[in-house]
Amino acid sequence: MTLFQKEMVENWRNKKWIWVPLVMIILAIMDPISNYYMPQIIEAVGGLPEGTVFELPDFAPAEVVMMSLAQFSTLGVLIIVLISMGTIAGERKSGISELILVKPVSYINYITAKWAALLILTLVSFFFGMLASWYYINILYGELSFENFLLIVLFYGLWLTFVVTLSIFYNAMIKTPGLVAFLTIFTIMVMRVITQVFHHLLNWSPNNLSNYIFEMLLTESIPSHLVGTASVTIMLSIILLIASIFIFKKKELAN
Amino acid sequence: MQELMESINWAIIAPFIMIQFILLIVAIIDLVKADETRGSKWMWVFIIVFINIVGPVLYFIFGRRRD
Repeated sequence: MTLFQKEMVENWRNKKWIWVPLVMIILAIMDPISNYYMPQIIEAVGGLPEGTVFELPDFAPAEVVMMSLAQFSTLGVLIIVLISMGTIAGERKSGISELILVKPVSYINYITAKWAALLILTLVSFFFGMLASWYYINILYGELSFENFLLIVLFYGLWLTFVVTLSIFYNAMIKTPGLVAFLTIFTIMVMRVITQVFHHLLNWSPNNLSNYIFEMLLTESIPSHLVGTASVTIMLSIILLIASIFIFKKKELAN
Repeated sequence: MQELMESINWAIIAPFIMIQFILLIVAIIDLVKADETRGSKWMWVFIIVFINIVGPVLYFIFGRRRD
């Protein structure tokens, strides 16, 4: 627990608690705002012949939600990976973790404290980002109920949990921060390709979460495969977390 | 351009600009207080001020020295 507190204080001191939520808010509201003003922007930039009628689709709230989520799954994930790449790997490289682990602190504590601190930062930032997006959607595009908003946060939060856990897993395994970031993103990309190729077999792959969220918003009910996918994502995260504790223990004892 | 400026509802855009501004200020304060950064401080000042949004983020991720 003290390790967890230390980690939270650390994240506060290096301003992560300020800038990560702000950047997530920017990511979330960028697309809703710019799409809303697209007709004016095109008009101002010009270049179209006189009399061109430009029909832009009116977006439904659910579609705008998907735009925000798309930003999270690209740039958002990239930021999460970049802020987490050195969390354990960097400390091991500089020898800080050895100083900590000399004290009677178990390996489980060390890893879970890191994991929990990172997870809370990520989820809180995502929550604020989505809240801002929800606010703009209601003003600019039409109603999206608060329950729907909470469901989006809940289910997409699971995907981000998985990303965080994956990053911690590679952190426990490898000492080079850059390589941790690369492998995390590489793994996510490979998973995406595999899910697309074998989509009829891998119905419950975590990568499908955002598609199912879209489906949920359109049908106004929670599809059963969304629940299935959510459980698979939780299971995978738990397995990864346990595996990272074991790997970390083995690596540290070997040193 | 004039038309564009008039057609925009500033109440909608203002929070977006504010957040960007806060991000910039926080990055600058952190930079000034930092003893050392990766690369020269002046370089980071330019990056933070002139590259929208991305500049401060780059500084926080790559410019800060872990201590």
